[in-house]
Amino acid sequence: MNRKSRKFLPQDDFNKEGENYFLLPFRFININKHKELLVNDVGDYIISDIGTARKVVNREIDKSGSLYADLISKFFISEKDIPELIDIQATRYRTKKSFLDEFTALHIFVITLRCDHTCHYCQVSRQTSNKSKYDMSKKNLDRSIDLMFKSPSKHITMEFQGGEPLLAFDNVKYAIERADKLSKTNNKEITFVICTNLASITEEQLHFCKDHEVLISTSYDGPKFIHDSNRNFSKGSSHEVVTKKIDLVRKILGEDQISALMTTTNLTLQYPIEIIDDYLAMGFNNIFLRPISPYGFAIKNEKKNKYEIENFIDFYIKGLSHIIDINRKGRFFSEDYSTIILSKILTPLPVGYVDLQSPSGAINSAIVYNYNGFVYASDESRMLAEMSDETFNLGHVKDNSYNQIFYGEKSKNIAKYSCNEALPGCSECGFQTFCGADPIYNHATQGDMTGYRPTNGFCKKNMDIMRYLFNLISDDNDIMGIFTNWVHKGKYDFELRNEA
Amino acid sequence: MDISFNNNEIHINIDTSIFNIDAIHKCFYWYGDDYSVTINSSSDNSVFVMLKQKNGKIKSDEEDKLIDKINNDLLDFQTRDTVTKETKNIRDLLVAKAFAHSDIYDEDPPGEISDPVGFKV
Repeated sequence: MNRKSRKFLPQDDFNKEGENYFLLPFRFININKHKELLVNDVGDYIISDIGTARKVVNREIDKSGSLYADLISKFFISEKDIPELIDIQATRYRTKKSFLDEFTALHIFVITLRCDHTCHYCQVSRQTSNKSKYDMSKKNLDRSIDLMFKSPSKHITMEFQGGEPLLAFDNVKYAIERADKLSKTNNKEITFVICTNLASITEEQLHFCKDHEVLISTSYDGPKFIHDSNRNFSKGSSHEVVTKKIDLVRKILGEDQISALMTTTNLTLQYPIEIIDDYLAMGFNNIFLRPISPYGFAIKNEKKNKYEIENFIDFYIKGLSHIIDINRKGRFFSEDYSTIILSKILTPLPVGYVDLQSPSGAINSAIVYNYNGFVYASDESRMLAEMSDETFNLGHVKDNSYNQIFYGEKSKNIAKYSCNEALPGCSECGFQTFCGADPIYNHATQGDMTGYRPTNGFCKKNMDIMRYLFNLISDDNDIMGIFTNWVHKGKYDFELRNEA
Repeated sequence: MDISFNNNEIHINIDTSIFNIDAIHKCFYWYGDDYSVTINSSSDNSVFVMLKQKNGKIKSDEEDKLIDKINNDLLDFQTRDTVTKETKNIRDLLVAKAFAHSDIYDEDPPGEISDPVGFKV
């Protein structure tokens, strides 16, 4: 019997003095005055002294040191021109981009523009009457559902937005029942989400939601004086209604079947701590500190809603610091935007968040069927349409086929500006692997889909937040436990060395 | 490299045998928020960059900091440019392998495949 065993080559074979190494693709950026971050194409990173990248490129790295070993093991350099494990790197790269395999997974249905709130930051123009004009017709609803099922994605999320979708609950119910049936014949898994202010939700509607495993996403801006100031409700205090209804939803659907979203206004900016503490008191385990989209109807009221991105960053960092302190005291509570970025940093998997994808999540991950039958590349695209900018109108469900809408000339043109790997200012940015491309934001705020990074709010926000996160990772011994726990939704066991 | 200040302008002469034109363009792209940037070829092996401050004047006590920043930024962008160009082929290969629909780009596994248990006859 032949019993050969694998033999290792002698050490000299791996570490030949005088031989130079080969560079592998990586990017770098300073995270503070003393440290720089090196990141490769699959998100492996090294935090090291300023000037490390220059030393790597100039072949000045000591082969006997730990940095050299890190650079080799994390695929920043190779002792062979083509690293022997390149196929593993290729698989990891494919995994990072695997959201593309599924194509459009999130299908947003603007079921009606009618609404019973008049929030001053509302992204869309709201209509209070004329049901026939501002509700999606049954025919267009059917056509939109048919298009949704042509998506190659095996897992589809059907999200109902408005206006207030519950004002057209008959249509929501019809759409869910039809999509539920079609999901079985089309062999697709489907998740339903209703984005609602909850004001008009009834027990009967909630029992329907329970039967069809519908998730509820609501708007909640924190303490009463903020929520009611931001979200004007014609029939009284929106805060009083929504807090009661959140309890009702939890009672009927279950604790984890409802999530909340807040929107940051000029008033909100002054109260990060109060808002977070209010979310905690309401029994939420997370919060999404989310800036207002700086275009469309939202910034028509400049006094209330327009602010510099620097002010948002200041608010965000105060909030995030407070959230980290809460975690240090032993209570799991996460911030969603950081968790999305950290998932990209700490796991090999892609994150299904359309605003931080490259290629962009517009069309590739999400699509919007508007109440009038027009199809838009993203939620923000229909906001622009409400301001008469139809740049991202991809066609109509009645007149255009799936191929014409999803692979037509407009979609192809948007795709040209959808990869941050090929955008000026992004192509060599050290944060690129963790960031995304947003041609719609660029078009809306800077007049073209390429965008101009030195004055770009999307770039400024993401750079500042990522820099802050990497500084924490670099300096704080306990932070990796907390961050990993956020990524694993509170199911990661860790011990704090320095409890608050 | 030669840097001089003239009211609210910064004049920079850069030797293109040290910093290539791609790195120079990418570096000063990021100055566009605060400065109007002009880049001209001044001779066969140098370019002239003029940064004109958009708001206010450059204070004399800021000049040394700005010189340091420009020097460091140029070195960083030259380094980035070197990495980009030196690794272009391996990046192309990596992406081609990642998105190939077959195993045509796959490498043979490194090392000799042994048979320690002795399955082979």
